[in-house]
Amino acid sequence: MHGRVKVRTTEEERERKKKEQALKVRAYRAAMGRIQKKREAGELDNEMLSLTVQILLRNPDVSTLWNIRRECVLEKLSRLKEEETACETPSEEENQTVEDKTGEKKAAAEDKSHSIFTCELDLTEQCLMVNPKSYNAWHHRCWTLEQNPRADWQREVQLCNKYLKFDERNFHTWDYRRYVTGKAMVPAAQELDFCTEKIKVNFSNYSSWHHRSLLLPELYPNQQRDRPMSEEKLQKELEMVLTAAFTDPNDSSAWFYQRWLLGSGAQLDRAPRIAAFRLESHGAVLALDKPYPDIKQLKTELVGGGQTILLESWQPVDKRGTSWKCQQNFDYQRNSAYSLSLSDQKVDLLPLSGPENGAYYFAPPHGTASCSKDLLAELQTQLQSCLDLLEFEPDSKWTLLTSALLMRAIDFSANHETSLAHLAKLEKVDSLREGYYKDLAARWTLEWELAKWPLSADFPKRFDKADDVLLESLPYDQYLVIADEITLPKKLRDKLGESVPKTFVDLKLQS
Amino acid sequence: MLDDLPEQFDLVVIGTGFTESCIAAAGSRVGKSVLHLDNNEYYGDVWSSFTMDALCARLDQEVEPHSALRNARYTWHTTEKESETDVQSWNRDSVLAKSRRFSLDLCPRILYAAGELVQLLIKSNICRYAEFRAVDHVCMRHKGEIVSVPCSRSDVFNTKTLTIVEKRLLMKFLTACNDYGEDKCNEDSLEFRGRTFLEYLQAQRVTEKISSCVMQAIAMCGPSTSFEEGMQRTQRFLGSLGRYGNTPFLFPMYGCGELPQCFCRLCAVYGGIYCLKRAVDDIALDSNSNEFLLSSAGKTLRAKNVVSAPGYPPVSKGIELKPHISRGLFISSSPLGNEELNKGGGGVNLLRLLDDEGGREAFLMQLSHYTGACPDGLYIFHLTTPALSEDPASDLAVFTSQLFDQSDPQIIFSSYFTIAAQSSKSPAAEHIYYTNPPTYELDYDAAIANARDIFGKLFPEADFLPRAPDPEEIVVDGEDPSALNEHSLPEDLRAQLHDMQQATQEMDIQE
Repeated sequence: MHGRVKVRTTEEERERKKKEQALKVRAYRAAMGRIQKKREAGELDNEMLSLTVQILLRNPDVSTLWNIRRECVLEKLSRLKEEETACETPSEEENQTVEDKTGEKKAAAEDKSHSIFTCELDLTEQCLMVNPKSYNAWHHRCWTLEQNPRADWQREVQLCNKYLKFDERNFHTWDYRRYVTGKAMVPAAQELDFCTEKIKVNFSNYSSWHHRSLLLPELYPNQQRDRPMSEEKLQKELEMVLTAAFTDPNDSSAWFYQRWLLGSGAQLDRAPRIAAFRLESHGAVLALDKPYPDIKQLKTELVGGGQTILLESWQPVDKRGTSWKCQQNFDYQRNSAYSLSLSDQKVDLLPLSGPENGAYYFAPPHGTASCSKDLLAELQTQLQSCLDLLEFEPDSKWTLLTSALLMRAIDFSANHETSLAHLAKLEKVDSLREGYYKDLAARWTLEWELAKWPLSADFPKRFDKADDVLLESLPYDQYLVIADEITLPKKLRDKLGESVPKTFVDLKLQS
Repeated sequence: MLDDLPEQFDLVVIGTGFTESCIAAAGSRVGKSVLHLDNNEYYGDVWSSFTMDALCARLDQEVEPHSALRNARYTWHTTEKESETDVQSWNRDSVLAKSRRFSLDLCPRILYAAGELVQLLIKSNICRYAEFRAVDHVCMRHKGEIVSVPCSRSDVFNTKTLTIVEKRLLMKFLTACNDYGEDKCNEDSLEFRGRTFLEYLQAQRVTEKISSCVMQAIAMCGPSTSFEEGMQRTQRFLGSLGRYGNTPFLFPMYGCGELPQCFCRLCAVYGGIYCLKRAVDDIALDSNSNEFLLSSAGKTLRAKNVVSAPGYPPVSKGIELKPHISRGLFISSSPLGNEELNKGGGGVNLLRLLDDEGGREAFLMQLSHYTGACPDGLYIFHLTTPALSEDPASDLAVFTSQLFDQSDPQIIFSSYFTIAAQSSKSPAAEHIYYTNPPTYELDYDAAIANARDIFGKLFPEADFLPRAPDPEEIVVDGEDPSALNEHSLPEDLRAQLHDMQQATQEMDIQE
């Protein structure tokens, strides 16, 4: 019988696929061989461009081919330039008309180069449909746009909209979006609206929460710089993110964003600030709140007693670069007020009590951030909601952690014990991250101890943490560099071994 | 033409309603010779969709004792608010002028996105003949207002009608329902075996609002629904979420009348013969050959099996029909519910209504022009309830007053009719299989079960609607499918392969 329909069996289908695969491999090898030969011969021509297209459309991740394309594009552009300059040899009498002509020619050449760029953009667009997460294709697109003085950035923003409709979580697209919206000068407020829409569609999206975290501090700056954004906006953001967290407490993206909201809004690249400082006649020690590789780059000046002294010859006390000593003799005047400046930060020093000469400065690591009535009310509402939720789900990991964070944001010293209790519970319900919670407990404990320290009798000469609360580590140890004597639990001392923090006495500034 | 008709068939199906079309397609698909007849000049019988003119004509049609559609009446309304300045003022004439833009269903349905019909359409590959729109909102009446029920996770996140703790409770409840059955030993649920779903819901400490969301719209139960039944319905709802759009439901574009036609099309592709406007005058059983003799238009046809819809002569002669479903069909120039429910002109909204005692229910489907079922600016309201009497308007009165008394839409056309079913099996029908009339249900589960059951009795060995191959999977017999060569490669790849091979050969020679 002829022309009877028959359905292919899976066996036949597999066989067919195998053959197709083999043919593809042959075609790929042949094309690659040809490309390499052409490149060795320096033939960066149209044929080369069309050869690479065939492969890139199937596999956009061959970096070599993109590099070759860039060489081809640059070659083409320089040819255009040559042609242009070749035409520019006007004779005197024809000057006027020739100028018009060169003008026309220039426009034509510009159109030509523009079409070269358009071709590259079209290719990357097609490649991104094949693999939306191709680093190479995204990079080539950026490169092409940078080369083109007439690049249409607005169109790129539209492209991002389109791609984010297909996949709202593609971080490549979000990253590219930040790049092109910057170039297209899209107002931050408009970007924020876009971002909000995307979160409404699916809040389980780290990229769009992150995008928000970059836009908000810019749009709603915080005057005191101790919160990520203005308190009014912060309140609204907290409300929104808690809604997400309650809708699906197992989705970590919302909780991460909330944690950022409750933080100080500090940027990673901000300059270090003075944590502690102690001065006596033979020298000084300085502790920074974050490591800094070379303190000599920061200008450190001591003002007081009618003179300004530049503090130099700093030597590191620890390997991290958080505490530094300086052996320099001063004419310390007991009755004079001193201040210390580090880059643009300036702090007043306090005289040491007792018979010794010297002055100090100390700022505990957990400063209480500003908190308006409204914000405080919002934090308290949120805490209450979390506590309500814990009644239904006592083992909910994120709720336990967040309620602890909220308590600390409201009043960290009053809620110290309760927040530690939450961490202790977390060590049990989320035992895979036991070490993390222990570390966090150590940090919170030290923050609390250091905040209390200035109230103790022998401050800053004695630091006493002898009670048997088990600490896993000793964070913030650089803050203790101004003490003469540090008492630590024996277990912790044993654990720290070599890295027990040095005291002011240990540094032997006199010798 | 009629004389060309073959005289011998494996199966003759009378009536082109949903169930009959399903059986005809299934028969044809497994190689049976099928003749499909209908007295009407249109496909679908009471499952059909009509233009505006055709609906009026159908409702005007004289009712015979065996007619399934009865008690029909319709009214055109003139709105008092009509003014000269109103650009889009609709009236009888302007609606009738756009008659062909309507697809008015006698039996409107909504499909669960993972329900029986969708699965059958996918499994049989009939889905390529159909197009759907995801239902936009699932609604409920709450305190006299129509409100959207949050279905998906993003709905729950975005809704302003629930507090965050309510959001958590709703999500938690739904997750628990979704997980139910995976560990049936769960003590929490064991306790509720044999009790009602409402009792279970109340024990979950959910608020009144969440309780109505679940009872009215998600589980779609009444106060006496059993725990197991309620769980099953909730799971059915949840199982269809996240497939297409924001709700678990789909509506066929251009009306439900498209669906029987999709099955008819498959039947025809596999050789089924169609004759509309063709009645069967008499059927007799030839006891010698055990075949049916059908006389139709002066011709005698022989059939091994006969399936008929109820209400078709001659097979239904003497059968008493009783009201089964009461229907209301309204056309309005304004939608029901607030702006939020009808954003951008609205889509498809589903609302389950309950009378004050909670004993009776009705479904309302509101369709906008995006379904292709009516012109832009108009809305169709389909109201369906199990019939109590021969008066559909009075059956529906309690529901129409809930809908129209407060919100007062601009209704232009209203109609009421009854779909009837036979009260008893005809004694003459021993060898003929009768399909059931449309059941009161949201999806097509009962109709499919009915079709599957009859098909199983007709052809016990055969597969019910196995997957129909796509055109590219079909090979014409005589060709060797394993003899795949370059010609089966995509054109561009083939050309490239050719070029490459030639180029490399040339180069080899040169070297």
